[in-house]
Amino acid sequence: MQTYAILRRGGWRTPDELQAANARSLEHAEKMPEDIRWIRSYVLAERDGELGTVCIYQASSPEAIRSHAYHAGLPVDEIVAVADTVLIRPDPERVTA
Amino acid sequence: MRLLERDSVLDDLRGALAEATARRGRFVLVAGEAGVGKSAAVRAFCEEARGSARVLWGGCDALFTPRPLGPFLDIAEELGGELEPAVNEGAPAVVAALLKLARPGSATIVVVEDVHWADEATLDVLRLLARKLGQATLLVLATYRDDEVDRVHPLRVLLGELATLPQAKRLTVPSLSPEAVAELAGSADVDAGELHRLTGGNPFFVTEVLASGNGAIPPTVTDAVLARAARLSGEARAVLDAVAIIPPQADLWLLEAIAGESMEGLDASLGSGMLRPDRAGVAFRHELARLALEASVAPQRKLELHRAALDALGRPPGGVVDVARLAHHAEAAGDADAVLRYAPAAAERAEAVGAHREAAAHYARVLRFGERLSPTERAEFLERRSRACYLTDDIDEAIEAIEAALGLRRKLGQRLEEGESLTWLSQILWCPGRTADSVHAARQAVALLETMPAGRELADAYVHHDWALADRALALAEELGDSELILRVRTIIGRRDFANGSEMLEECFERAQAAGIADLAGDASCGLVTGALALRRYDLAARYVDSGLAYCSDHGLELYRFYILGYHALVELDQGRWDEAAAAAAAVLRIRRASIMPRITGLVVLGLVRARRGDPGHRDLLDEAWSLAEPTDELFRMGKTVAARAEVAWLMGDQEAVAKITEYPLRLAQEQGNRSALGELAVWRRRAGIDDEISDADEPYAAELAGDWREAAKQWTQLGCPYEAALALADADEEKPLWQALTELQRLGARPAAAIVSRKLRELGVRVPRGARASTRANVAALTPRELDVLRFLSDGARNATIAERLFLSSRTVEHHVSAILGKLGVQSRGAAVAEAGRLGLLQDP
Repeated sequence: MQTYAILRRGGWRTPDELQAANARSLEHAEKMPEDIRWIRSYVLAERDGELGTVCIYQASSPEAIRSHAYHAGLPVDEIVAVADTVLIRPDPERVTA
Repeated sequence: MRLLERDSVLDDLRGALAEATARRGRFVLVAGEAGVGKSAAVRAFCEEARGSARVLWGGCDALFTPRPLGPFLDIAEELGGELEPAVNEGAPAVVAALLKLARPGSATIVVVEDVHWADEATLDVLRLLARKLGQATLLVLATYRDDEVDRVHPLRVLLGELATLPQAKRLTVPSLSPEAVAELAGSADVDAGELHRLTGGNPFFVTEVLASGNGAIPPTVTDAVLARAARLSGEARAVLDAVAIIPPQADLWLLEAIAGESMEGLDASLGSGMLRPDRAGVAFRHELARLALEASVAPQRKLELHRAALDALGRPPGGVVDVARLAHHAEAAGDADAVLRYAPAAAERAEAVGAHREAAAHYARVLRFGERLSPTERAEFLERRSRACYLTDDIDEAIEAIEAALGLRRKLGQRLEEGESLTWLSQILWCPGRTADSVHAARQAVALLETMPAGRELADAYVHHDWALADRALALAEELGDSELILRVRTIIGRRDFANGSEMLEECFERAQAAGIADLAGDASCGLVTGALALRRYDLAARYVDSGLAYCSDHGLELYRFYILGYHALVELDQGRWDEAAAAAAAVLRIRRASIMPRITGLVVLGLVRARRGDPGHRDLLDEAWSLAEPTDELFRMGKTVAARAEVAWLMGDQEAVAKITEYPLRLAQEQGNRSALGELAVWRRRAGIDDEISDADEPYAAELAGDWREAAKQWTQLGCPYEAALALADADEEKPLWQALTELQRLGARPAAAIVSRKLRELGVRVPRGARASTRANVAALTPRELDVLRFLSDGARNATIAERLFLSSRTVEHHVSAILGKLGVQSRGAAVAEAGRLGLLQDP
């Protein structure tokens, strides 16, 4: 498994839409545990109140990420392989949207 | 270990827990063979239940004399309290203490593992508990190996009693399906079907073998098997030994002949669960268990058993001898005469049914016992072994065998056979990429055989040395009246002249099938695929892939099957079906074999799919492809790799790299008059700004090189290659074709190429909405890429006529798209659609 960052810019209009997408994403990720491991996501506040995400996944291949996105109905703008992690502080507590 | 195919068991356990929590106590027996994963399933369930229930855990032990109330001693030790004194008092006290543990509100789970080993008192506790837990918040889980509980086992009585209680339930944990075994094997380099057969789908064995990593039986498996066998009586153990010696199954008549008086132990050995009744006899439940036991039989005893088996199998009751089994026991009994009598016949029979791997093994057996063979006989067996190894793509073994044969032929001065072997060696050497050695051997063969009267061997040498000599070979074959040779030569001519028509090669494929010449049919089917691919006849190629894979799978032709799988990935890629192409390529890359061409193809296809999408991970793939292709110095294997690397360099904007990568192969293509490779490479150089003034390239490359992007795009579209067509359009310097190229590239998900075209459009002063993001976002509103294109024009206020012109559509079609867009966005007007699209972010720049 390799770690990837996946950019899904401005994919959702409302938190509800995003939440529904998250549920689909999780459901499909659990169907392919050897290929996709969803680590965490940062929700992006895009312009006009839209939401996007930067998702950190472990995956067996970029194709697995695309297949997962296709089945879960998620946009993919770009997939980037993560070369290393530099941890300075733990993630802050939940940010209220 | 991962839990596969355990959902139904877990669901049942959850149901039982829910009942128990509601004060309807439950007793669940979890049955399954040793190693099937009963404990793993129960453990997973308890982990999940731990939040809401208390879990107590005890196990029975496999001692000849188990500890009385052993599992409850375990629990008491962990828990303390009232249970501790109770285990010294006996079963009723233990039951009372356990029932007192149950508290309302949350359930208590008591797990008792391996109750097939339970002592009498533990069975009493279980029996009483089952009867009394009806009102308690108690879930009792007892696991046992159902394959070890024979008719007289003490547990039988308990099982019978529980069957009548409504609060008791029995679950069986099944073996894994072949699919689950394949999933466990994952990317490990093993044959999942074979692994399933070896292990009978038993997860313990599967994981042990996978963990061992080398295909040998891991010590943990051996220990588990031997521990089980050690508990049996002497006679039962003797039966096991005998059955272990005579795979795959022991017919009763055979077992009687070998085990003799020990047959009395048969019932006990069946009761052990290691054996199962089989057609006319018994067999091991798991092949791995058999292997472990076989390895443990003392050498002298083993020899005796094999001799007895050889003797009995030589005179079977039905009169039909099984040469493969005889060959096996002949070798194990160290009986050279018997090996030489049975193994060659076994090899031929294996070949006849397409079991080339087994044939190769039988020939190896003959050669191991071949001290008495004459050198000529020995050489013949080596040659046959080499052919069998080749067909299963065991190239190293094939080369080793034929080189040994060649040495013998030389020593014997058998020059005709020497020439024949050289031709054969040449053919094998090509597969792993030893091109120079291959050409050298073919040349030697021709030179040698031309000094002798012309015959079949020379014709064969001609066609393998140079396809240009095939006509001479055909004349010779016809002169000799050798129909198989004629067919072989015609197959090569059919491949060579495929561009003039597919009929000849198709006919050869059919004739070879009809004549039962499997290797030739496999070769022809492979040739059909490459031929259709070279002509870009994807309809034909897809058909040939199907028929070729079916034939090769049926006839054990792994070599050709592997090649066809690789080409299949290319067929998908060229047609712009990137998901399918990537999946096909990944399938090829999972197979580790000696031939390099399929691997090169798989690496190139997967590398290109990633690079074209802008996904990471393409560089390593293409580097590996190049490291395999470059040493062959052969355009056939370097061409696609070079073109792929040039494309990636172009996508990255590295024009210098394009020039450098293509320089040498381009010269090679010019020298060899390979018009297709020449065109492909020259087009990439042209895109990078290098004009080579090539005039003899194949179409559509020729049109592209001449700057006729319109014609090139038309041809690519007709061929069914959308990406290539879009790139041809991208060569234009006008708005319309560039728009068309951009739209198509976005549809394909070709991000880097789309960016190049966008840039070109902007340089022309055209306002380009940055579409790559919008196209991925389209699924929010469920718009198709085409509808999204129309939407972009709407936002510019364009009228239907303008949109139709820009997108090469009829006005009617545009009208249709517009109304679909309004419907999907839930709006009434074009203006409202644009507003809504803006709100959805379908139009915005990143």
